[in-house]
Amino acid sequence: MSLSSFDLLLSAIAITAIMMLGTTNIGTNLRLYALHSLLIAAATAWLGQTRHEPALFLVAAIFALVKAGFVPWFLNSIIRQVGGHSDSGAFIPTALSMPVGIALLGANNVLAQRLPTVINGDGGNIGETFALSLITTGMLLMLTRNIAVNQVIGFLVIENGIYLFSQTQTQGMPMALEMGILLDLLVAVMIAGILLFRIKKNFEHIDISKLTELKD
Amino acid sequence: MHQLDQRHVRIFYAASSLFLLTMTTVFACDNMGALWIAVEMTTLVSSPLVYFDRTKNAVEATWKYLIICSVGIAFALLGTTLIFASSQQALAGSGSMQITDLMRRASTLQYQWLHLGVIFCILGYGTKAGIFPLHNWLPDAHSEAPAPASAMLSGGLLNCALFAIFRITQIVVASDHRGLTIDIVIAMGAVTAIAASLMLLRQHSFKRMWAYSSIENVGIMLVAIGMGSGMLFFLQAANHSIAKVALFLVSGNVVQASGTKRLNALHGVLASSPVWGILLALGALSITGAPPFGMFVSELAILVAATNPGYWPVAVALLTALSISFVAISLHVGRVVCGAAKPGFASTGSQLASSLMPGLLMLCSLLLGLLIGPQVLGYLR
Repeated sequence: MSLSSFDLLLSAIAITAIMMLGTTNIGTNLRLYALHSLLIAAATAWLGQTRHEPALFLVAAIFALVKAGFVPWFLNSIIRQVGGHSDSGAFIPTALSMPVGIALLGANNVLAQRLPTVINGDGGNIGETFALSLITTGMLLMLTRNIAVNQVIGFLVIENGIYLFSQTQTQGMPMALEMGILLDLLVAVMIAGILLFRIKKNFEHIDISKLTELKD
Repeated sequence: MHQLDQRHVRIFYAASSLFLLTMTTVFACDNMGALWIAVEMTTLVSSPLVYFDRTKNAVEATWKYLIICSVGIAFALLGTTLIFASSQQALAGSGSMQITDLMRRASTLQYQWLHLGVIFCILGYGTKAGIFPLHNWLPDAHSEAPAPASAMLSGGLLNCALFAIFRITQIVVASDHRGLTIDIVIAMGAVTAIAASLMLLRQHSFKRMWAYSSIENVGIMLVAIGMGSGMLFFLQAANHSIAKVALFLVSGNVVQASGTKRLNALHGVLASSPVWGILLALGALSITGAPPFGMFVSELAILVAATNPGYWPVAVALLTALSISFVAISLHVGRVVCGAAKPGFASTGSQLASSLMPGLLMLCSLLLGLLIGPQVLGYLR
């Protein structure tokens, strides 16, 4: 099996996401997230070129601006004010979570082979594999980390995976919808940021595994 | 009794207006993508409502609400994408996201993608509706939010999420492959109803109890959706919303006046405030589906529909759930209403004025039962 340049770009996206599993430093995580989002924007622009859809260039530009620019900057400034730069890891030790992420990439490849092939989309099974891998990586990030910011990052990676899936497996969603989804995401990140301040103020830490006061 | 911060009150009113706007938008959407955006927006604009008290518990509840619902909803977006992909295969071109359009061409859709997409959508929107294994955030958010916000979350938001599930399953019902997906919805509904009714038994908090009762009703509504009966779903949703809003408003007053949410510390509401006591008792009768009220009619109709030969386990499950929840709610509310008056029970403002809205809502519930009841029952016969 030989990979085209586009497939290599897609694999770089999945690899940067898996690299996020390997670090506990939130600053590094955010930089990797920014790089990862920038690569997805590049893939979108690539699709715009091959499909001759100039609208995708605009989507790519806005995507890069919001997800590779504003969101990492915003979360980073919050981290600087709230404190707590590294994460101790929770259910799965950090050293183990990266190999688990790689194993899941393999499992996703098997899964993607079994799914019906798409006639229209670019990327085929490879695109499917990497998009699904982003979703599982994001879930793993949310599950294995204690610090509240990492849950937001995990959620953003899941969202990126779904975006990549829609870009590679369909002819692209209508642009108005993409923009609406991006707006929702932006508002979600900003509300989460405000809440992080509140958690810090009320609990004096941002460790999610210690938020256990509410139960039956 | 702490003084309310004017700024917090302003944010509350602004967010609740936006919340109403987004909830209304959900019902107006025919486009799957727009439907998703509207449902996600309801989460975002309602989180300031849950967060109103600014206490530790409120912050924890809001964080759980925001993160669990956003991630859940993300899976509904994946499902939406999959359904869109299935339509592109069928139409060999741009595809469609309009639900009415998809329903018209349902039999030509690529069915594997369609099934996968619908299952993801049910899981995603189901998280927002509080189906059983994914319900954790719901009692927290509903009990920590101030009473008017709890009323909106329980009476309005759950219906939005269920309506989204209803619209998506309509596509499958219109296709030739209804079996699998529909069975999943019915089974989830039955399991949710039974699990919630069992959890109702061991409640310690007054508002959490109503939250679990909402989950139980979500289960019943899911069964109605699964049986493909939009009318039964809407009837049950209307009845549940009317009764539950009244209950949350009265319970909020009672909790505020007695200064505790704990069930074992609440007693003698009837002695302290006869109006609230009577309204609580009537509301509890209504929500458990006692005869003169609207809920009785819709629950009976759903049970009758579930007695079709193929569905008998569902009917058994629903009957069990309804009986358990009737016992649990009667027990808890009976303790709260009866007994000696609680010392230090101090209501701010007029008790009659604050009973006006719940009273009118109880009247609506009663009228729904008395006016629509005979027609529905006649139709069933």
